[in-house]
Amino acid sequence: MERSRDLTMSGNLQSTLMLTITEKNGSTRTRKLTMQAKTAGGTEKRMIKFLDPAEVRGTALLILDYEETQDDMWIYLPALKKTRRIVSTEKGKSFMSSEFSNADMTSAALSDFKITHMPESGKNDTWLIESVPVSEDKADEYGYSRKITWLDKKDLKVKKIEFFNFDGELFKTIDIISTVPITGKEGYIMTEMYVMNHNNGRSSRIKFDEINTTSVIPDNTFTVEALEH
Amino acid sequence: MTDFIIKYRWAIITISFALAAGLGILIPSTGTDPDIRNYIPRTMPSRVTNDSIENEFGVQDMIIVLFTDSTILAPADLRQVKEVDRAMSRMEGIGTINSIYTARKIEGRDGMMVVDPLIDRIPEAPEDFLTLKNDILDNQFARDIVVSSDMTAAAITGTITSTEPEYETLNKVDSVIAAQQGDALILTGGLPYIRQFIIKDVNNDAMILIPIALIIMLVVLKLSLGNWRSVFIPFTVVILSTAVTMGMIPLLGWKFSIIMCLAPIILISVANNYGIYLVVRQQEISQSDLPVTAKEMIRSITGSLNMPILFSGLTTIAGLLGLLTHSIIPARQVGILAAAGVSLALAMSLLFIPALIYFQHTPGRKLRPVRTAKNDLISRSLEGISSIVIRRPGRVLLVSLVVTLLLGTGIAFLRIDTNQENFFPRKHPVRKASEIINSKFGGSQTISVMISGDIKNPVLMEKIDDLTQHLKVSEGVGSVFSISDVVREMSKALYEPTEPEYDRIPSSAEAIAQMFELYNMSGNPDDFKQLMNFENTKAHILVRLSRPENDIVRDLRDDIKVFAAAFPATVTVGGYAIIMTEFAQKIINGQVSSLIFALFVVMILLAIIFRSFKGGLIGSIPLGASIIIQFGVMGITGVAIDAATALLSSIMIGVGVDFTIQFLWRYKLELMKGGTHQEAISTTYRTTARSIVINGLSVMAGFSATFLSGFLSIRFFGYLTLLAIGSCLLYAIIVMPAFMLYFKPAFIEAKLKQLNKNNEKDEKDVIPIVSSIGSVTAVHAGSAVRSRATDGTQP
Repeated sequence: MERSRDLTMSGNLQSTLMLTITEKNGSTRTRKLTMQAKTAGGTEKRMIKFLDPAEVRGTALLILDYEETQDDMWIYLPALKKTRRIVSTEKGKSFMSSEFSNADMTSAALSDFKITHMPESGKNDTWLIESVPVSEDKADEYGYSRKITWLDKKDLKVKKIEFFNFDGELFKTIDIISTVPITGKEGYIMTEMYVMNHNNGRSSRIKFDEINTTSVIPDNTFTVEALEH
Repeated sequence: MTDFIIKYRWAIITISFALAAGLGILIPSTGTDPDIRNYIPRTMPSRVTNDSIENEFGVQDMIIVLFTDSTILAPADLRQVKEVDRAMSRMEGIGTINSIYTARKIEGRDGMMVVDPLIDRIPEAPEDFLTLKNDILDNQFARDIVVSSDMTAAAITGTITSTEPEYETLNKVDSVIAAQQGDALILTGGLPYIRQFIIKDVNNDAMILIPIALIIMLVVLKLSLGNWRSVFIPFTVVILSTAVTMGMIPLLGWKFSIIMCLAPIILISVANNYGIYLVVRQQEISQSDLPVTAKEMIRSITGSLNMPILFSGLTTIAGLLGLLTHSIIPARQVGILAAAGVSLALAMSLLFIPALIYFQHTPGRKLRPVRTAKNDLISRSLEGISSIVIRRPGRVLLVSLVVTLLLGTGIAFLRIDTNQENFFPRKHPVRKASEIINSKFGGSQTISVMISGDIKNPVLMEKIDDLTQHLKVSEGVGSVFSISDVVREMSKALYEPTEPEYDRIPSSAEAIAQMFELYNMSGNPDDFKQLMNFENTKAHILVRLSRPENDIVRDLRDDIKVFAAAFPATVTVGGYAIIMTEFAQKIINGQVSSLIFALFVVMILLAIIFRSFKGGLIGSIPLGASIIIQFGVMGITGVAIDAATALLSSIMIGVGVDFTIQFLWRYKLELMKGGTHQEAISTTYRTTARSIVINGLSVMAGFSATFLSGFLSIRFFGYLTLLAIGSCLLYAIIVMPAFMLYFKPAFIEAKLKQLNKNNEKDEKDVIPIVSSIGSVTAVHAGSAVRSRATDGTQP
């Protein structure tokens, strides 16, 4: 599992992404964003800026995801000309009001889970890995009782993740639709993910385009000052 | 008629039993409908608007779990709250949860916007408790919503989803609560719980009230008829007609509701009346020294009693059908069921009972009637009343008029109550929880305001804010949830108190859009789900009411409409409280329309019976006076008109009119015999009046089963029915005789000769048989007093 997790650590990443949220009744909401991400010293840094729709263009988000301590998040709202640090301890909460959670968008600390193989693991060229939060508080923080990750036996790529609620029922599934290899490094980037919430019928799709993993992103990209530019 | 009954006696009996068995078998499949909203037609405007709001923002019915203690901010209590909160938030049947553990604090602190749980861990040190207390008091989304200001109660509020049956969800919540061990007392409330209690109590009512009413009736019949053989016949009619009527409920696709319980009670109380007359007549004839054949027995019974029974039945059916003009759906259903049941009882009395008597008849065998008691309490009382009425009819009229008018003044204080909470007695857990919810947590009943337009438009947002702030300080409002509060709260986190934008609605659509985006990223998007739709084209203001009284709700609705006129958007007002207010109006309209209908039909029937329009009007006096007394006493005692008591008038008209018909019918016959007015009244008192009193008491005894109902409203219905039937009875046996003596109306004396002729023709078969019986029969309960043949007198 640790090996699989390391494969998704890209170092540098620049991309545009399209986030589409679809309600049960079919109505959709789309956000076009740019993202710059860098992993260094166990800290994931991400700068996300809104391109579309026009009314939120320029809104920017800086996330510093520390391995050990609580994440830092800053937001800039151009219409209000205000930058604010957002402090929140909850990883199980929604990512930009989609069905993805904040935790889904980062590489969760393996120490938060008890990880075991499922009995069926290994069949059909797939490892089935069960991750159970180590405590009730962690379970509340992540918002599920356990998850099963489907890994391709050959390359340890994640194919699917299933999340189970506290009654033990499947309530959310993330499908990895496509990936691209990281240039010059072993590993891959998930370029399209689809999540379905079986409880409320809402789904979300996130699609990465114009991916660049080779350019070096300067450190001053991930500063509060850079949010406003 | 006699030949028909004898020829088809087997068919009549077989069809009666088959019908009862065929429909009775369906009774166990009857469902229960606990939702008072289903009492209201789907097309009612407030229901239509409410459905449109619920389509957008989900059902707003909340379950509320209350924790109370001298101080709720204690580790053991907070642990209890946490465990219940955790269990509830994991339940599939529960949507959005609001508690001290889900409440967020959004605040600006040292240049940061902090969005954090109000409580992340249970404090231990006293100073931490003080901080928590201050955090709660400073947080408009927590104070008096998840913890009361006096810190003596905490609440967990959860909306119900349709993913699993409501009762399963409530059972799960109850199991979690039962497993709690701690200092706090835990109560549950909210509409889903009220519905759950209604289902339980309706089933209990059906299990208890119907058997008790049957036992009471059995005792009344035994006391009235003397021997079990005679009791069997009318009681069989009660059982069969009740079985058919109850079986009609699932057959018609209806469900059992609180007021539907009244249908079998009405039937049990009324259905035996006609049978009693027939059986008493059978007893009378059997006392004759002359042996009577079965055919002669049937002919003599049906010949003299069919017409009065038919008229009595028709007036009862007409009164009950008055309920068809009601807007309350179960009221109409009770009207149809009770009218169908009485029709069946009437048909059975005219066909089935004679057929049974035919089989039961043994020539020469004498049925032992109830011991006659010429000096019992009823007879002595009637004798006393008779002498007063005969001596001082004018004074009797004056006193009764004054008493009626005095009681009638209470109508000015009459009120309508559609609050489901008030169905339950004060000590019921639902009432206890409701009192805490209403006094400390803003109430469980709601008004919903849906605004359709561009919600990000700052002009519209300002208007929403104006309305929100106005509602917050309005009378009867416990709390208000609105998107404008969230926007203002965010502005407080983003700006410093010294900045002009602090605690204000932003001036641009972009700023509002970005705030929404910020909230989506930092809070829970489900928090928004209740306040704004996905496309930001509809907003929802949820108003919780601490005093959900109809006049307060009406004022609030009018206020909202005034504000809405200036909105650059469409505004829809709905919610349970609004539905209930319109429901109250429907109850008033239903009362008026059913009263007018039933009075009109009864008046026509009386006019036909007495062959005089004036006779119809005068015969309706006891009903009119009883209606005034009933509403007056309700006003004086504070008993409100609600879904159950709204049925009273129609039932009273249906049942109470019989007494007047019986009295006047007999009085007229006595006059026909050539006696003076005083003599005719005196004889009527000695004969018919006693039967009327016993008949009235037996109906009242049947309705007294409702005193044991789990619902306060049904109990009040029982008390008021006794009052209404009692006043009809008193008017029939005291005021009407006084009226007759004082005014000597022409209708009662006119056409005597013609009537005389008709009666001779009607009863030519009966008189020879019954003439030897003498006046003994008149003292029997429910005796066939409407016929002069009853006491063997000749015209």
